[in-house]
Amino acid sequence: MMGDARKAQEIFETTLREAALRAAHGELPKEPFWLFRDARWRCLEASETDLQAEPLEIDDRDVVSESPSQIGQLEPAQLAIWISSAPDPQRTALALFYLDEFDYREILDLAELKLSELSRLLAMGRRQFQAWLDAMLPKTPNI
Amino acid sequence: MNMPRLSRRQRALANCAPITEERARDRSMRSAVFRAGGSNEFVNQQSFDRAVAALVHAIPIPPETAEWFSTKDLISPSKWTWKKTVRNPAVLAIGIALVVIAGVLVFQFVGRLNDFPGSATARNLLRIAGSTRSVLLDPVSADAGTLSDLFFMKHGLEHYDVPAEFADFRTIGCRVFEDDQSQRVAQIWVAERRMQFFLFPAQRDAKTGAVLRFPGWRYIRQEGWVGAVKEHNGVCFMAALPGRERDLAPYIPKTKQ
Repeated sequence: MMGDARKAQEIFETTLREAALRAAHGELPKEPFWLFRDARWRCLEASETDLQAEPLEIDDRDVVSESPSQIGQLEPAQLAIWISSAPDPQRTALALFYLDEFDYREILDLAELKLSELSRLLAMGRRQFQAWLDAMLPKTPNI
Repeated sequence: MNMPRLSRRQRALANCAPITEERARDRSMRSAVFRAGGSNEFVNQQSFDRAVAALVHAIPIPPETAEWFSTKDLISPSKWTWKKTVRNPAVLAIGIALVVIAGVLVFQFVGRLNDFPGSATARNLLRIAGSTRSVLLDPVSADAGTLSDLFFMKHGLEHYDVPAEFADFRTIGCRVFEDDQSQRVAQIWVAERRMQFFLFPAQRDAKTGAVLRFPGWRYIRQEGWVGAVKEHNGVCFMAALPGRERDLAPYIPKTKQ
């Protein structure tokens, strides 16, 4: 969500500190994902003050069979930066989806999206990421 | 292979298809994944997603953060509270079934509290009392107490005596028949309140053949009829009428059991 380990660490600690305080006062919400929702809003709030990446004018591309080999050439930090530079709610959708810890209904709940919106954001994200991959990295056959 | 024809919702679900199979928890998602499964487009999408997810998991987590998750799941399973457990339909159904079974057992136990030797036969005779019509009996107009001689003389039934409490009741008819256990039963219909008397052999011990005695009068109920039973000389006498115990109580001496 942040693309910056130091800021992510700060938000993580703030979220947990706040949760501990609420727990001490017996004010923990009953909904299951409140901690993640809280962390999400803190991330969005923190990135509002950051410099925003300029939108890149690249035509979307269909996902192809060579994509995994292209992705394999990336550094994890590059992916983190790419996701964190996406506009919200696409950023939240991509981050939660590729974290692979939630099913789609939980993501809909957490990101306050409809199924059609989540579907569109993910599909668009894949095509945009593929375009970025094609621009950055040469294709190698997927064996 | 192209993406098969999918409904708009199925296409939306296929776009959100889980990266790992265990996250496909609902049927509509499994159905959409199954339908889209064979197409190249979907296969590429899944390969793409798996590759991205693998890269996401390779993003280094600072050690201070990582230690929080070293022994814990990212999402702890929701705890089962008593309230939640009780609201579970399966638990609810089992609970109701257990209550019903317990109710039946208690009902049967309470019913058996009043049991005595010969109560099964008495219940059976109460059923017969409810279904007997007066035309089935031989018309006899006499005091009930005098029928002992008739039973002895005509049918060879010894000690088939009507107790003194009921001896003065005027009879309408009587008969002798065999019940389903081939026991000879005397049935007397009296004028008083559609009352019927039954005389039948007392229950005996299966091994010794000794009569299983019980003291005083015992009440028994069956299908809207109530009976008061007394054993004397190896023969049980039952006075029966349609109604409740309080309807029969005035005829029974206070010394009843």
